[in-house]
Amino acid sequence: MRRREFALLMGPSLLVMLGLLVVPLVRTIQWSFQKVEYGSPGDFIGLSNYAQAMSDPRLGRAVFFTLLLTVIVTATILVLGYLIATGMNGLGKLRPYILGAMLVAYVLPNIVGAVSFSWLFDQNFGGAVNYVIQALTGQNILWFTETWPNRIMVIAHTVWHLLPFSMLMILAGLQGVPKELREAALIDGASGRKTHLYVIIPTIRGVLGFVCLITIMDVLRTFDNLIPLSPQADAIGNESIMLYVFDTAFRDGSAQLGLGSAINVLAILLILVCLFPFIRGLLKEAKAKA
Amino acid sequence: MRFHKHLRTGAAALAVVASLAGVTACGAGSRSGAQDATAVACDYTMPTADTTVNVLAYNSSAIDPFTNTMVKSCTRDKVTLKHDPIDFGGQVTKTTASLAGGSGSYDVLETYGFVVPGFAAKGNIEPLDDYVAKYADKYKLNALSKQMRSAMSYDGKLYGLPMQAQMYVLAYRKDVFDSLGLKPPTTFAEMIDAAKAIQAKGEIKYPIALPLNATADITTNYQAAMNSNGKDFLDSSGKPQFASNESRKALEGMKSLRPYMDPQVTTFDQPKVQQQMFNGTAAMAIMFSGRMNDLTLPANTKLADKFAFAAPPAVEGGAPYLYSRLSVDGWSIPKNTKLDKDMLFQMMAASVSEDASKASVPAAYPAREGMVSDDSSKYAAAANATLGKSMPTPGNPSAAPVTNAIRPIVVQVITGQLDIEAGMQQMQSIAEKTIAGS
Repeated sequence: MRRREFALLMGPSLLVMLGLLVVPLVRTIQWSFQKVEYGSPGDFIGLSNYAQAMSDPRLGRAVFFTLLLTVIVTATILVLGYLIATGMNGLGKLRPYILGAMLVAYVLPNIVGAVSFSWLFDQNFGGAVNYVIQALTGQNILWFTETWPNRIMVIAHTVWHLLPFSMLMILAGLQGVPKELREAALIDGASGRKTHLYVIIPTIRGVLGFVCLITIMDVLRTFDNLIPLSPQADAIGNESIMLYVFDTAFRDGSAQLGLGSAINVLAILLILVCLFPFIRGLLKEAKAKA
Repeated sequence: MRFHKHLRTGAAALAVVASLAGVTACGAGSRSGAQDATAVACDYTMPTADTTVNVLAYNSSAIDPFTNTMVKSCTRDKVTLKHDPIDFGGQVTKTTASLAGGSGSYDVLETYGFVVPGFAAKGNIEPLDDYVAKYADKYKLNALSKQMRSAMSYDGKLYGLPMQAQMYVLAYRKDVFDSLGLKPPTTFAEMIDAAKAIQAKGEIKYPIALPLNATADITTNYQAAMNSNGKDFLDSSGKPQFASNESRKALEGMKSLRPYMDPQVTTFDQPKVQQQMFNGTAAMAIMFSGRMNDLTLPANTKLADKFAFAAPPAVEGGAPYLYSRLSVDGWSIPKNTKLDKDMLFQMMAASVSEDASKASVPAAYPAREGMVSDDSSKYAAAANATLGKSMPTPGNPSAAPVTNAIRPIVVQVITGQLDIEAGMQQMQSIAEKTIAGS
């Protein structure tokens, strides 16, 4: 490809990336060192925003909750996604229909899905889950105001929303496993469990790494589903980092854009730390294949 | 090959869902359509070039009649008024962004008394007194309530043309009250007595419903409780009043109602409180008057004919005001609009004209006096009775940031995580720091 063609094809993408990724990132870093009022140039205040953010116990709570959610959801999605994909792989004619139905949870706008999901637990809007639990145990669980019930509900929704995509990716990986490998394992007398553990999973390691990476990125950015699912997130320790950033920088026209930017920079660093092993692994794999 | 088939199925599912979402979105957008809006005279001087006027106003049954009237009546010849559906939270964020800098995205803004002092003090919105004087006769602007004009003013100048107001109203189940020989409560103590009697009957477990949502409504309710005792968050000199005796009484009063409310009430906003009333799981609710019309519509609930309305109670007997807030909505002109401000003012004035105001009842309580009489709506008498007994709103630019800053503490006090005395001291300290830093 000639240079001119390359520039012509890549130019628009690079421009969009510059405008939507690089410029906001640079501004965020710049504002994190400033006291910023909307519409007026910020005043440089050094590390004050970072000091304020780090001394706020709310940040610690938000980081703890976000990491907890990330670990539990990622582990659950990997296990469930693998199990469902394996089951799906063995299905016949029904597979496309079940797959299509499952994808609805993923393609629904997150906020819409979260509102519908919250109604399952909200007696004002039917509360089917409450109804069943109450009928079976006589317990009335306060899903929205008690910390752990609320966490379980948020985890359940996040898994419900993200599982279809992960399952689809793993299913694609499973279909790429050569038949010969399975047959060889069978001839060698490997049990089903051992075939999965020592043959199939190592073969689709790359796909599983990719699913892990995407899931971690998605969960670390948890924000909009908490609005219906955890209306008093901060008070019960279930506020995500992104919700905290929004609350600080934007809620009710708040002017703490500098402080919000500082928290955002800290969040970006945290995301990079969490993703580092996966990015390194994927790069190594790509290098080896090249 | 097989995977391609799955992908095709997935793509088909995506297409179906996207189409459904599109249809739903169209449905939502049509709410702001001005097809059935009231047509009024809007005869501003036509600009020479094609002009688009961008209007920012959130969608609600109380605001839509005015927005739709403006869009329908003032769109003509070279001028097109554009209004996209938006929720209240979105409006707040867009307003802040639009008012920043030399040029904004909107030319007419829906504002409300709570934020007007802040925008006015920063010079973000245009004073309207000269336009009011110029067009007072043409649009009969002197009939706009003085109390509501005062709520949209700062430092003696008018910054928002009031369109409608909301005040707290008590909605109650007349059938339940009548069967127990109860009368609408006039104090929190009477409210608790009524709640106990209703609970004892055994049909309604949590008779009282208030919007105490931890991210917004809870501070409005705290303010209403303080107002009932004659104090606001800030006094006339801007000093925080959270450590006052009135603040203590307000918090004690709110906490005293908790045992008679749904245990998850700190997650309830006004729609959820409405839902409690629709479902029959609550017997009395206090909300802004703009929410009351929904209770009277049979399409919303089978209990529509069983609701009655009254002025809200006072926190305690002998209190100077009722448990209420007067929230006034109106139109403002951003300082950074490039369009002719005289033209924009006339559009605003047309939308609050007599005909438009009359047509907005009963969904809204118009700022134009004499529009809401006892026969206008089922809750008109209750709203009128509340209006005169709501504490006047003292406009202070620090009120909004202070309210945001103290909200987490109010939540902790009301949910019992923090005792009242410690909460009051913390709020006082936070408010002082917020004022010093703003």
